[in-house]
Amino acid sequence: MADSDTLTQTRTDTSLDVPWNVVVRDDPVNLMGYVTWVFMKIFGYDEKKAAILMLQVHQLGRSIVWTGQREKAEFYVQQLQAHQLKSTLEKAA
Amino acid sequence: MRIIPTLEGGLMIDADDPGDWQLLKGITTDAVSCDEKLARRLGKLIADEELARDWKEYVIPDLEAEFSADVLHVATSIAAARVECGGGPGPLWITSGDAFQWYSALNQARLALEEQFHFGPSQVIDPGELPPLRRAAFLRSQFYCAIQSLLLEHVLR
Repeated sequence: MADSDTLTQTRTDTSLDVPWNVVVRDDPVNLMGYVTWVFMKIFGYDEKKAAILMLQVHQLGRSIVWTGQREKAEFYVQQLQAHQLKSTLEKAA
Repeated sequence: MRIIPTLEGGLMIDADDPGDWQLLKGITTDAVSCDEKLARRLGKLIADEELARDWKEYVIPDLEAEFSADVLHVATSIAAARVECGGGPGPLWITSGDAFQWYSALNQARLALEEQFHFGPSQVIDPGELPPLRRAAFLRSQFYCAIQSLLLEHVLR
């Protein structure tokens, strides 16, 4: 055995990513049909699901329209804002 | 002024007189009438501090450029059509290819008016009870909304 040895220790930490919510808020300008169309276009939702989410936005003031990885949530919020919808992302509770 | 869906899947705005062209030009004037640009107003919705800094640096400039390009496109289209007919009766065409840019410019105009005048839901407003400046802004917003509805019904969807 040599005078000095190098010991290498590998430790693996695994933690679950905290999911992020994409949130759309109501506003008095964007038309209901437009909001539905944007949800279909950006998320690929069918018209029924998109309309339900749109009604949540309209009636409750906000809706969580998607939940998942942060990077993808950022991308979706950017897309929603490019379509001029009041949108943000927040850590899922 | 009449607005008619075309067989090619777009819209034709048939202007009657200089007043109609002035009204159409108002879309682009109103779209940039707010002191704080739309992209920055939307950026303020990002609550997370670190993310808000990134948003300001990377996303807002892109959104500003997109929104400005849409307004510029509409301004150019209106100016060209107006020149074509000498400011009198004549058509202005919206094709399926530029319908979203039109929708965007109209939306920017309505969002800017809402930001300044805080109309809220339009169905509860009686324009007859509004002071002149506010009434004019409200009626412009309603006019832009009518074009948006036609775009949504006949072109975008």
